[in-house]
Amino acid sequence: MAKYDKATIEELIDGTIDFFQLKDMLSSFKDPGRFDTYLEILQERVPWEDRILMPYSLHLYVVQKSDGQRIIKCDCGHEFCEAHDNWKLHALIHVRETDEKLQVLYPELLAPDPQWQVIREYYCPGCASQLEVESVTPWYPVLHDFDPDIDGFYEEWLGRPVPQPSGKSR
Amino acid sequence: MSSRKTQILAIDAGGTMTDTFIIDDHGEFVVGKAQTTPGDESVGLLYSAEDALSLWDMKVEDAFPQLLTGVYSGTAMLNRLVSRKGRKVGLIVNRGMEDFHRMGRSIQSYLGYSYSDRLHINTHRYDPPLVPREWTRGVTERVDLFGNVVIPLYEQEVAPAVRELVDAGVEAIVISFLHSYKNPIHERRARDIVQETLDTLESDIPIFASVDYYPVRKETPRTNTTIIEAYAADPSRRTLELVNERVKEKGANFDIRVMASHGGTISIKANELARTLVSGPIGGVVGGRYLGQALGLKNIVCSDIGGTSFDIALINQGDFSIDTSPDMARLVLSLPLVAMDSVGAGTGSFVRVDPYTKSIVLGPDSAGYRVGVCYPDGGLDTITVSDCHVVLGLINPDNFLGGQVKLDRQRAYDAVKEQLATPLGMSVEAASFGVIELLEAQLRNYLESLVMGKGYSPTQFSCFSYGGGGPLHTAGYVKGLGFEDVLVPAWAAGFSAFGCGAADFEYRYDKTLDINVGYQATENVRDDAAEALQGAWNELTEKVRDEFDKNGFASSAVQLRLNFRMQYQGQLNDLEIESPLTVLNGATDWDKLADTFEDVYARVYARAARSPELGYTVTGAIVRGSVEIPKPKIPEEPYESETPNSAAFQGQRKVYWDGEFLMADIWEMEALKAGNRVRAFAVIESPATTFVIPPGFEAVLDTHRIFHLRQVSEGR
Repeated sequence: MAKYDKATIEELIDGTIDFFQLKDMLSSFKDPGRFDTYLEILQERVPWEDRILMPYSLHLYVVQKSDGQRIIKCDCGHEFCEAHDNWKLHALIHVRETDEKLQVLYPELLAPDPQWQVIREYYCPGCASQLEVESVTPWYPVLHDFDPDIDGFYEEWLGRPVPQPSGKSR
Repeated sequence: MSSRKTQILAIDAGGTMTDTFIIDDHGEFVVGKAQTTPGDESVGLLYSAEDALSLWDMKVEDAFPQLLTGVYSGTAMLNRLVSRKGRKVGLIVNRGMEDFHRMGRSIQSYLGYSYSDRLHINTHRYDPPLVPREWTRGVTERVDLFGNVVIPLYEQEVAPAVRELVDAGVEAIVISFLHSYKNPIHERRARDIVQETLDTLESDIPIFASVDYYPVRKETPRTNTTIIEAYAADPSRRTLELVNERVKEKGANFDIRVMASHGGTISIKANELARTLVSGPIGGVVGGRYLGQALGLKNIVCSDIGGTSFDIALINQGDFSIDTSPDMARLVLSLPLVAMDSVGAGTGSFVRVDPYTKSIVLGPDSAGYRVGVCYPDGGLDTITVSDCHVVLGLINPDNFLGGQVKLDRQRAYDAVKEQLATPLGMSVEAASFGVIELLEAQLRNYLESLVMGKGYSPTQFSCFSYGGGGPLHTAGYVKGLGFEDVLVPAWAAGFSAFGCGAADFEYRYDKTLDINVGYQATENVRDDAAEALQGAWNELTEKVRDEFDKNGFASSAVQLRLNFRMQYQGQLNDLEIESPLTVLNGATDWDKLADTFEDVYARVYARAARSPELGYTVTGAIVRGSVEIPKPKIPEEPYESETPNSAAFQGQRKVYWDGEFLMADIWEMEALKAGNRVRAFAVIESPATTFVIPPGFEAVLDTHRIFHLRQVSEGR
């Protein structure tokens, strides 16, 4: 069974991993300890203490507050909302719905026609990191990308209960 | 014992070790090993030959003068290519198309991948191009596919391009223009201007125009191949000269030849040296053809199990087929290569259990020379097929490679138990046997689908089984397929080297053509077609004769064989066919070629697949020229009794087979005599290979030291 050391997983996160090592990972059975190593590295890198239950996207995490609440949080420390809520509804949005705004990104003729397709950019109010970009028709609702079953993942796939806030038991 | 007559020296210079095979007139051989000396390979070669000959108590000085011939095959050139350590090459192509080389026709992002990685898109990746973009220049010109000049060559653009490349420090220049195989006028003119410019710059770097080397269709393979000529092949020429000089110093009376990918050997002075890029597994196929000729067998399946792969090639009507656009080292090439199919399953394949489905997975990666967990010095943790062999008792752990490599059965047993038997809930022996059965079933399916896929039935073929691992599984992978005969040469482990020694001294030249002849064409059209093809053959024959001339062979000594490639009009693929005629005179001769094509097409596909109403296209001409050279003698021994001599009997060993432990008779391969019949359950051992005769089979040794494996009852 594959097992990779922490340094390898750090290289994977940073995008500095050697291709042949990466290809080995892709072509072999997955290492069962990956999630734990991955989480450990992420936890060391964030500037706050809340426990990460699950990485949510490149800069976002589902964390556990000391009172047991699950919150979606940016690595700058900004807290969006409760984990089941759609964080995008609490973010800053920039919509590119004119030719002028779209042609900042694309040359003319390679840019989409804003009558057909607009680009919606979602930013963190705390650090202004671009967290997500949607490319949808003008009237389209805000997408709720991901509503993870955290308890099921821990209990049935990792085979252990979800970590509890210190001092509390389940 | 210096009464031996050494016949053939076959050299396999690998990246780490140089192997030499010295074969005597009984087909017996010794293998010597020494570390490769990359600076001057001839040094390692001599140590390796000394090592081999010491097993026969002979000296290099005694053995070399007796040798009839010597063939070199090596991976130095391929290593230079794979590790990207070749010359700095500059490339001149059509202006506006400078990027095609580094775009690798998309296909180069997944060449050489296993089936699963082919589908697993994230694993796809481009290697760095042989020639980076900054050493590529475009020159304006265009010739269309009929050879018409559409845009003339802008001659004034050539010299500045050359000056820039020379300033950038390139060490060779390659020129490759579109459709130059059809009309070379621009490419040749550009080549001459490059030469003039280099002269004024007082630079002596070499120039390679694709039309002078590989005048064939498809610009990516053609350009790659010409670049490889400049990048890796030409720089290796000096290495080969040194090897040749050193062997002659020790008394050899022949010039070393190099194994080439088309299945013949060529001189180290050959113009196109990149043809020798791939040579390893071809030896076995050439050996199979040679042995088949001697035994009167025309249809043969060659099967070779080594440590890393299972290679199969078909010999049909006495000859192997050629793949004209193969890939190697993740590059598409336009070298003619003996057509072989390979699957990544060998005795070194890793064995794993899928954690989710609990099924056994073999390979596709392999332990190579590190054998398995049973070889403590190999440093491996993951079990291999070899570990299962050791657990079952099929391999004698004290007699692996003649006892030079000591294997540890207990280590293998413990590792198989932990990694395989426990997760599957089986006994260690049953789990190991399951691995062997799975491997053999995979090989059998593969063999059957390959033969059937080409339109044949195994009953029309004899099967040759060789390679260090082949005879261990021969019975398993031929079981129930109904081959006419199954042959295991006693020199199975050295069979590829034997084949190199048996290869013809042969040059092969290809040229792309576009000759279209419609359905029921007039006599004039067919006359012209015959004339055009004959013209191409004449041109190629000249090239073949020139190459032999360099080696002092008169043109009368050269035997020519003419081939052509034909298809129905509008098709994308063609067939290579040997011409029934040596000279074409007019329309009736053309009709004979078309008839031959129809016959071959019916055999390869089906009679009902023929579509003569579409008309014909000849897409290529090929000339093969060979000269007589000494070949290894096939052993010939007097027939003795059916009962083996008791001296060959080495006692019995407990071997697990299909649910129970059986007592297997152990025989020493070298001590068996012609006519001896070995009945199951038996293991025939020699230093380099192990031949298993499982229940339901028996083997008879013939007068040529070849075992014939037969199924005596419905196998189990």
